[in-house]
Amino acid sequence: MIRAFLTSTVNMVSAFAAVGESVQFNRDIRPILTKHCTACHGGVKEAGGISFIHRESALGEGESGARPIVPGKPAESEMLRRIRSDDPDEVMPQPKHGPPLSAAEATLIERWISEGGEWQNHWSFEAPKETKVAAVSNESWPAVPFDRFILQRLDREQLKPSPEADPAEWLRRASFDLTGLPPSPEELAVYQNAVTADPAAARVAVVDRLLASPHFGERWAAVWLDLARYADTYGFEKDPHRDIWPFRDWVIRAFNADMPYDQFTIEQLAGDLLPGATAQQRLATAFHRNTQTNTEGGTDDEEFRVAAVIDRVNTTWTTWQATTFGCVQCHSHPYDPISHEEFYQFVAFFNNTEDFDQDDDSPRMKLAGDPAKIEETSAMEIQLRVLREQLNQAGRSLAESAGAWQPFTPTTLTPTHGKLEMAADGTIRGTGTFPRGSVHKIRGAASPFTALRLRILPESDDPKKWPERGSLVTRFEVRLIDPAGVSTPVVMREVFVDRLGGPKEPQPNSNIGGFPKLEGPRWAVFVPERGIQPAAGAQLEISMAQDAQTAGAQGTPVRRFSIDLSNADEWSQVVGDGQRAGIWKSYRELKQAHQAVKGTMVPVMVEGPVRQTRMFAGGNRLAKEKEVTAGVPQILAGGTVSEGMNRLDMARWIASRGNPLTARVMVNRLWGELFGTGIVPTAEDFGSSGASPTHPELLDHLALRFQDDFKWSVKAMLRELVLSATYRQTHRVQRELVERDPSNLLLARGPRNRLSAEMVRDQALASGGLLSPVLHGPPVYPPQPAGVWNSVYSGLQWKESEGGDRLRRGVYTYAKRTSGFPGFLTFDAPSRDLCSARRLVSNTPLQALVTLNDPAHIEAAQGLARRMRGHSAELPAQLAYGVLLATQRTASAEMVAELISLHADLLKGYEAAPAESAKLAEAPSAAALVLTANTILNLDSALTR
Amino acid sequence: MKPEHFARLQHTQLEHLTRRHFLSKCTTGLGAMWLAGSAGRAWGAGGPLQKDPANPLAPALPAFAAKAKRVIYLHMAGAPSQHELFDYKPELRKLNGQDCPQEFLEGKQFAFIQGVPKMLGPQFDFKQHGQSGAWVSDRLPHFASVVDDVCFVKSMHTDQFNHGPAQLLVHTGTQNLGAPSIGAWATYGLGSENQNLPGFIVLTSGGKNPDAGKSVWGAGYLPSVYQGVQCRSEGEPVLYLDDPAGITRPLRRRSLDTLDRLNQKIAEEAGDPETVTRIAQYEMAYRMQMHATDAFDLKQESEATHQMYGTQPGKESFSNNCLLARRLAERGVRYIQLFHWGWDSHGAAASEALNKGFGDRCKEVDQPMSALLKDLKQRGLLEDTLVVWGGEFGRTPMLENRGGGDNPFIGRDHNPGGFTIWMAGGGVKPGISYGETDPIGYEAVKDKVSVHDLHATMMQLMGFDHEKLSYPSQGANQRLSNITKVGTKVVEGIIA
Repeated sequence: MIRAFLTSTVNMVSAFAAVGESVQFNRDIRPILTKHCTACHGGVKEAGGISFIHRESALGEGESGARPIVPGKPAESEMLRRIRSDDPDEVMPQPKHGPPLSAAEATLIERWISEGGEWQNHWSFEAPKETKVAAVSNESWPAVPFDRFILQRLDREQLKPSPEADPAEWLRRASFDLTGLPPSPEELAVYQNAVTADPAAARVAVVDRLLASPHFGERWAAVWLDLARYADTYGFEKDPHRDIWPFRDWVIRAFNADMPYDQFTIEQLAGDLLPGATAQQRLATAFHRNTQTNTEGGTDDEEFRVAAVIDRVNTTWTTWQATTFGCVQCHSHPYDPISHEEFYQFVAFFNNTEDFDQDDDSPRMKLAGDPAKIEETSAMEIQLRVLREQLNQAGRSLAESAGAWQPFTPTTLTPTHGKLEMAADGTIRGTGTFPRGSVHKIRGAASPFTALRLRILPESDDPKKWPERGSLVTRFEVRLIDPAGVSTPVVMREVFVDRLGGPKEPQPNSNIGGFPKLEGPRWAVFVPERGIQPAAGAQLEISMAQDAQTAGAQGTPVRRFSIDLSNADEWSQVVGDGQRAGIWKSYRELKQAHQAVKGTMVPVMVEGPVRQTRMFAGGNRLAKEKEVTAGVPQILAGGTVSEGMNRLDMARWIASRGNPLTARVMVNRLWGELFGTGIVPTAEDFGSSGASPTHPELLDHLALRFQDDFKWSVKAMLRELVLSATYRQTHRVQRELVERDPSNLLLARGPRNRLSAEMVRDQALASGGLLSPVLHGPPVYPPQPAGVWNSVYSGLQWKESEGGDRLRRGVYTYAKRTSGFPGFLTFDAPSRDLCSARRLVSNTPLQALVTLNDPAHIEAAQGLARRMRGHSAELPAQLAYGVLLATQRTASAEMVAELISLHADLLKGYEAAPAESAKLAEAPSAAALVLTANTILNLDSALTR
Repeated sequence: MKPEHFARLQHTQLEHLTRRHFLSKCTTGLGAMWLAGSAGRAWGAGGPLQKDPANPLAPALPAFAAKAKRVIYLHMAGAPSQHELFDYKPELRKLNGQDCPQEFLEGKQFAFIQGVPKMLGPQFDFKQHGQSGAWVSDRLPHFASVVDDVCFVKSMHTDQFNHGPAQLLVHTGTQNLGAPSIGAWATYGLGSENQNLPGFIVLTSGGKNPDAGKSVWGAGYLPSVYQGVQCRSEGEPVLYLDDPAGITRPLRRRSLDTLDRLNQKIAEEAGDPETVTRIAQYEMAYRMQMHATDAFDLKQESEATHQMYGTQPGKESFSNNCLLARRLAERGVRYIQLFHWGWDSHGAAASEALNKGFGDRCKEVDQPMSALLKDLKQRGLLEDTLVVWGGEFGRTPMLENRGGGDNPFIGRDHNPGGFTIWMAGGGVKPGISYGETDPIGYEAVKDKVSVHDLHATMMQLMGFDHEKLSYPSQGANQRLSNITKVGTKVVEGIIA
């Protein structure tokens, strides 16, 4: 029955091959394969050696030697024989796996094979192409080029477009769609006047005004922030506060500035890697720091680092490519030609950042509070890294070139806990328990040296077992003990390490090793100011304390290590170099200057050294398989050579004209926001398992217009959508059309969408004259019922904002992952745990409770009542004005009469109950008006646009 | 257009809701939106259910006869120790104080234990109770009297050892965020028998939400209408349920009458069936205000009942929530999920230590949970109400030595390898104990039951094949029992 339904839907939304028309693989055949065949003959299972995802396999030989599809020869095609077989052992699909194909489906496959069995890649993997629309029934109807596609389809369906919406209907719709706010009565009046003189010019003026409004960015940021899974907390158990609101403001500003979508894409995915990255470009990468950080006690930082990386991969694919990439984590894609290995090649783009599920959310950038200092502060951070790298590099090169290292072989090994032993391979290995605070002390005969190298090694030499538990020396001390037992410390002037970065900065006496994980062998070279010449018979004593622990309260002991000595003069020369001292000086001064800047620490992407990326067997990070290098899936590469690509190259590939999905996915999103349903209804899935486009040529046309004609300008694209004849139709609809096209996929009428969660609140406040127009800034705490926030181990309190901050737009409301703002969740806002590509609109009694009873909505009603009274002394005019403010409709006489009667009854009620009345307003008549206003704000017309 | 047009529109709307029409013509806005998500998708077995868009929570029949019509899930957040409650191991008592043998530590990852901890014997006395001879420690004297109605599963295991992920796994079938909770699946599959109350109600006690946050009663990829509604035993039971100050019931009714009439006019003019649906939702909200307030009014209960549960109306407590659970079950709420807090007995603080706070936790739950079972039984509700009690994992047979040192109190670390839950009513065998852990209560060894097996069994009891009740997301038909897990099975041995 589900299939029957689907077929009818498909029939409606895409034309099947009519008799006499040739069969098209994508349109006619692939849906049948996806429905009946690929579950067993696909990317996960290739039963009988056959996969209908890959052309070569479908047209080649199966394990039996038979060829499923022999182009032009249906009689020789094994597939068709098996589909039509009467033998229960032979028939496909096997009865236990699914119902048989319908006769019509089998006939289509037969026709397709007869016609040559031409294979096509899935439509969304092919580049969009422009189709010319021939004649349409009414050449004067289209207002913009794409209207012709809509009309052509309506012609085919023998439907007529609906008449134009009246000015108020169109203005309300356009205002909400572009700015998320209702038009003011003044704006309505201006438009109504202008539209009689010159309708086209009046509409253009409105659209340009709305696009230029600073509230445009707030409205569209709300859409983007669902994809970015933006929230003001870390997520998981303790769900502490995260300062990442500057990213939200970045998005608002980017939309307001109409940043081209390709640039918008590149900056968020890899702004940090752009040459000369600005502070704003670095801030943009907070997009992918909206992943969750787990601060629960006892958690494994690597587990949640990997979870964040995987989330970045999946979010990137959902947001920009509308491709269900998540399933490829465990196995090849069941429906689309993307392999398991390609998933991990993509993981490799994101696997090299420094973030490591740390409690402080590091690495973070400092966003100076003084806007004038933002760029300068960011530049300091970059310069500090450059200088530090430069200082370390001198020793790194020397470690490889300056003479031989002599192993230091200790004669006594005295750990405070556990046991230390010399292993056969010359390393020192520990066994037993090394709690936090353990100290390893080793001693042996001293010899002259200018540098001492400590190597900290994983317990296993098998890279597949890495990373291991952390291994960090928190205090490193070297002493010389003369034969008389007098002990003198050897002061290390500098330390050089194999690589910098990570949460703990190496010091000449601390922070050496791998933290929070040991990702492979590490080394550090300690260099004293001058070479050490021990007296004869002296002993060298090395002591290593291990005081660190991870957020999960795991100690990070050193379990395997070795010490070598070098007596090469170069080491002393390097650390004694005068120029070097100068660099150190500027480094320290710069660091101080940076620390002195006041600002907000925002988590951003910071590229560290390249990690090994391995495939996970069955998606399990503990079962690592072969190593892969970064790359993009072949099917979408479009000539891009993956070799040597980094995250920036990947971002550029996504944002390129050659990527067949990026523009389509974005125009589909814009379309869905305006028309209620995307051209591809499954906005999150353009793959074989998603829905087919209702108007494929239209989607391609818009994608090309967006990326080529409009140069990725979101505002230009929206302008065209809103000024179209399609959008301009009234949403008033006759029963026949509702029955014919209930979801309005054909667009024979204008859209009528419920307000989004944020809009419901914003409109109530705007109608009540209460909405604060202030843009940007830290999140706010509008009134919320007591006790909603009760997270474990969290001191976070919902401290109600004061003054204007109580009345800010919804996009600024504090977003706590484990406890969302109740009014928003009820109106279908996501929790922002994960990337969410669209909100399914529901219609529930709990929503009615919010808009009827939430104190914020009562406050809005009080504001609306005040405005109504301020407008006129006459009740009928007050009521009509209230309706106008909340819906932009001119209230009919009948409507006003109904409201007058309501007000009269309420007035009687409040006069009889002055105590109740006083809770709402100063006098019974005012209280009656407040409840009347509350009623108006709950009109269906007030909750839709 | 005239009022008769509205009547026609209503008729059209109803017509859409009949299955035949639904299938042949698609449907109105909301339903179409939901189903648009699935058009052209690949189904294996299953696929989304047909739902009435005007009332997606309308009662629906399960795939086969259900033994459990409703579920009450009592989650003990923090993971109570099986060693101190139900899983009695004399062997462990003998090992008390000895160093943990290396074999128990190899290949294990602990949240807090480091190096070699000491073994810790059961801290309380155990006795056998009832006809069934169930072992219960002296911490649960009331519960000892109802054990013959209870089915213990002592061989539970999970693969998560941190609270947040483990709680998500218990309630959604995956440790990752984004999947629907059991209650969302239940209301998606079965709707609710009472349209004047939410179909999936969550009650917390102990002043905290679960570690995994509200995602443990979220709708995940299911439509948001199936998410759990957190109700409170203090203040208004449902957020925004109470009429605001200054708006009395009669005045609200009067205002809704006007709203209905005006919305009918809007429906006539605009012709949007969603408007008709909205009118129905407002009426439902009004009824919910009365019915939910009534359902949550514990003062209606007799003194004897309060004595039995140990309840004090107006206070937030597990006792109150147990009594509320019975009242909600009586009213046909499909899935009732209770969270109690404070069972994370590490021995790091007095409030949670086995030798301190653990006893208080036991006192908080013992009487009310036992009363709930007795009360359901005496009202004839237990037979088709499935009650499930448990935490998110078990606890180690070793004394926790946080960071290799000594804890100030006695406690145990997290242990995913073995733990005990109990079930009662709703088609499970009463008076049995299923499965076993090893002689020290560390690992489930006999008749092992994974969290996914538990889910499959719960689905079975509610009348669904766990492999068939599914919903498309991320390109696959997802289900509670987690499509990425192999070998998940219904635990036939506990089904009556």
